[in-house]
Amino acid sequence: MSLRRYSLWEVVKHAFSKEVWDVLWPAIGDTLYMVIFTAVITLVLGIMLGIVLAVTGKEGITPVSWLHRGLGTIINCLRSLPQIIMIIITLPLARALLGKAYGVNACIIALAASCTPMFARLIEGALLELEKGKIEAAKSMGSTNLKIIFGIMLPEVIPAMIRAFTVALIAIISMTALAGNFGAGGVGDIAVRFGFNRFQHDMLIATVFSLIVMVQVVQTIGDVCSKLILKKRHLI
Amino acid sequence: MSSYIRTENLYKSFRTKGNNVQVLKGINLEVQKGDIYGVVGFSGAGKSTLVRCINRLEEPDSGKVFIGETEITALSKRELATKRRKIGMIFQNFNLFDAKTVFENIAYPLELEKAKKKDIQKRVDELLELVGLTEKKHAYPGQLSGGQKQRVGIARALANNPDVLLSDEATSALDPQSTLAILDLLRKINKELGLTIILITHELEVVKYLCNNVAVIEDGIIVEEGEVRNIFLNPNSNTGKVFLKVSKEFQKNEFVSGGEGI
Ligand SMILES: Nc1ncnc2c1ncn2[C@@H]1O[C@H](COP(=O)(O)OP(=O)(O)OP(=O)(O)O)[C@@H](O)[C@H]1O
Ligand SMILES: [Mg+2]
Repeated sequence: MSLRRYSLWEVVKHAFSKEVWDVLWPAIGDTLYMVIFTAVITLVLGIMLGIVLAVTGKEGITPVSWLHRGLGTIINCLRSLPQIIMIIITLPLARALLGKAYGVNACIIALAASCTPMFARLIEGALLELEKGKIEAAKSMGSTNLKIIFGIMLPEVIPAMIRAFTVALIAIISMTALAGNFGAGGVGDIAVRFGFNRFQHDMLIATVFSLIVMVQVVQTIGDVCSKLILKKRHLI
Repeated sequence: MSSYIRTENLYKSFRTKGNNVQVLKGINLEVQKGDIYGVVGFSGAGKSTLVRCINRLEEPDSGKVFIGETEITALSKRELATKRRKIGMIFQNFNLFDAKTVFENIAYPLELEKAKKKDIQKRVDELLELVGLTEKKHAYPGQLSGGQKQRVGIARALANNPDVLLSDEATSALDPQSTLAILDLLRKINKELGLTIILITHELEVVKYLCNNVAVIEDGIIVEEGEVRNIFLNPNSNTGKVFLKVSKEFQKNEFVSGGEGI
């Protein structure tokens, strides 16, 4: 249904019809699949890289200047690429790894490559905000660096890490929509194919609605989780 | 009598934006076993840097630190980590782990020693009793008052039966009543456990109340040291004199204003 021929009200009403959602549901499934896989990769790699960045820095617990600078530079380079260019660049990589340069799995590589550096920086920031005194207290008790990282630093900053992950997850959702253009499917693909190319505005409204719902759900869960932990620790 | 904690010609400087700031300029400290030794001085004199050099939270530029027979400054990283378990430290802002309960905070140093679960339980209960916080065992630091937090800090520092306790302005963030309670607790552990305590403070009253000996640090060197009584009856150093004057001034004011005030 196009706004050119129907009134806004009719289009909006039709956006929630079975006809539209029969097309949209499988696409939402694809989107969630991409989001979840990308999120897992981003989470694991991002936390590892974030830790390395934080502990090898000049004020970190084991300063390693070359590693800190090298990794920092790579991450900055990756972050300065617009996401759409990242997708174009990683397509050949996907072909090498998966044998095909399109589809859901190929785009996961692009999404992870684009979101991991951002999440790693957020984790680094969260770890750097931790009071130095707590780390010194652990050191003064004779704790090894590994135990400081996993026994003290990570548990202390979990609420901040949850908030960082929420930001990253929302970035992944919006980027997934973009990746739709490159054969990854998902709601972004629907929005472009039906909403943009064929002026099916009911479809467009439905995709926007579903994206808003996804982002809201993620943000709400993130907020609730970090608040619950802070409450449990009596920090708020 | 030979001293238990000893520093020889300790130097330390910090490099900030190109220029080098000499903070310690040849510190020779001698503390007897079982003593409560005060270190006083103005802000920026280098007191914190000195104690932090003793457990090598700061690496001294040159000079040596001994505790008992061990030359701290000669230890490898691994040896230092082990030795640090016998050197407790408490801080002005407590530095408790907010993610852990009181129990878990005190258990942390014991877990580093790979103690058995049952032994940890027993030891933590003992320590909680010692510092009088048994009923707060499962509370988080966020639920405690400043005085209670410092008690946890002390219990945590004592967990591995150290023979030295370094205290960097442990009572500076506390109200007078909690200060007194913490000082009494420190005296108790000094008596009962035979700990040697080095206590940094701004407050002359604290030194008078608790310490046997005191060193006055001025601009990175010890300008005078000796028995607390002698030093503050008749100070020679500038810092000592100012400290005494300020202390007297406060007492006078208290006298004049009588029951008023807080
Ligand atoms: N990590 C550091 N980097 C640079 N300068 C430092 C560092 N730590 C301490 N300093 C400087 O060394 C000097 C002595 O500091 P220190 O903390 O030992 O003083 P202090 O006697 O403990 O003072 P306060 O009573 O305020 O705690 C100060 O001028 C401080 O600015
Ligand atoms: Mg200090």
